[in-house]
Amino acid sequence: MIRFSNVSKTYDNGTEALKNVDLEIADGEFVFVVGSSGAGKSTLIKLLLREEIPSSGTIEVNGYTVNRLKRRQIPVFRRSLGVVFQDFRLIPTMNVYDNVAFALRVTNVSTRDIRRRVPYILSLVGLASKARCKMNELSGGEQQRVALARALVNNPKLIIADEPTGNIDPELSYEIVDLLNEINKVGTTVVMVTHEHDLVAQFNHRVITIDNGSVVRDDADWGQR
Amino acid sequence: MKGSSFTYLIKEGARNIWVNRMMSLASIGILVSCMLLIGSAILLSINLNGMISYVENQNEMVAFLEDDADDTMVSEVKAALDKNSNIDSFSFVSREEALERYSEIVPESLLENLEQDKDEVFPLSFRITLKDLSLINETTAQIESIPGVMQVNAPTNVAETVTGIKRAVYLCGSGIVIILLAVTLIIIANTIKVTVFNRRKEINIMKFVGATDLFIRMPFVVEGILLGVISACMAYLLLWGGYTYLMGHVQAQASTALSAFLKNMVPFSKVAKQLLASFAVGGVAVGVFGSMIFVRKHLRV
Repeated sequence: MIRFSNVSKTYDNGTEALKNVDLEIADGEFVFVVGSSGAGKSTLIKLLLREEIPSSGTIEVNGYTVNRLKRRQIPVFRRSLGVVFQDFRLIPTMNVYDNVAFALRVTNVSTRDIRRRVPYILSLVGLASKARCKMNELSGGEQQRVALARALVNNPKLIIADEPTGNIDPELSYEIVDLLNEINKVGTTVVMVTHEHDLVAQFNHRVITIDNGSVVRDDADWGQR
Repeated sequence: MKGSSFTYLIKEGARNIWVNRMMSLASIGILVSCMLLIGSAILLSINLNGMISYVENQNEMVAFLEDDADDTMVSEVKAALDKNSNIDSFSFVSREEALERYSEIVPESLLENLEQDKDEVFPLSFRITLKDLSLINETTAQIESIPGVMQVNAPTNVAETVTGIKRAVYLCGSGIVIILLAVTLIIIANTIKVTVFNRRKEINIMKFVGATDLFIRMPFVVEGILLGVISACMAYLLLWGGYTYLMGHVQAQASTALSAFLKNMVPFSKVAKQLLASFAVGGVAVGVFGSMIFVRKHLRV
């Protein structure tokens, strides 16, 4: 579960990115967070990932009070979630398999378990045949699916996707969101930040609209309207 | 940390060297050049010191004993000289030996005109070499105060010059090594900084998938150790080859006047162990601490 209680974030340069945000996302929900550039979406993600800490208020994610985490607790917290970025953030010198296995190696998973889990996840995202390919041999859509596989491989309770379709062709965007949809169906909470309203409209999910640092709308099933 | 993770991190460090081979090559090149420069400066100052010591050893002082000195007095002076900590070696010169030496440089006729018995002209004496020439004045005074010693002839001017040169060589040598060390550290720090900066994305990704700081640092540290060891071995071998070649070449070409000096060149084997050890320790330390410091900056995510 995610809970923002009266969260504000002001950066050192005086920019007020979020103002008194109250928000609750239940386990198993699929939520789109929409808003124009500079609305505060990125700050919201940074706070969720504990990349930034709020200036005031409390944030709870997966049972952790994120703003009170000690430095050494941050890695453990981050292992409870999967993240997908707009720019994929894959390691170009590693192949598909190693990019996914990497997330497990970091968490001390045995080589035997890695060998079992990675091929399964790769088949889930439809990349089983490309396990040995390097990143520059893949299309944007395929790279995003590798990133998604990496986010999923730890079996996280929550997937945070920061504009995952921002760098790929529109026809492939649907495919990625559909994949996230399938993941959500088995009980994983999904929070996806996007500014593509057309894409959001194709799915029947809750939509939170942020503007100028505040939540201005929270529609339970925007896609159905 | 599990055994499999440990093996993975070691492998990852070694793999990183290959994957970022251009940067690794640059780091090795810089480390080797710096080590070669520092090694050469050290070898040069060791050799200059050796040559100065050779000159020092050529300088003897002579302590003349009283005319009426007998065997007991000679052994007493001997005992007193034995106790002096700055005396490297000394030898007793009898009246006959002194005459023999003198007659080598003075025409026979001069000696024939002497009124005294030829064997009685020269006093008994000790030829003394010192350990530290800079203490020549103190040591001379100490020897002069030994009962039975009439006069001490010491090459104080030469001693002062040699001591001055020695001090200058020491200061210049240390200065050059310190400057080189500082320049080396700056260059290496920048190389590591660039290496880490090139891979900041990788570090960032590791942070977001939940890697601990230790897990992120380890491959960099392994890489630092490997690059340090490789560079140390290369610098050692190059310096060994270069120095041995140069020594052979110089000694073969030297004129007779110089050959006495150059025979005193320190053989590489004498400093080899210390050089290899300091290269290895220096290389590894720079690699490890450099990586630790610069990776740290990117860990704050």
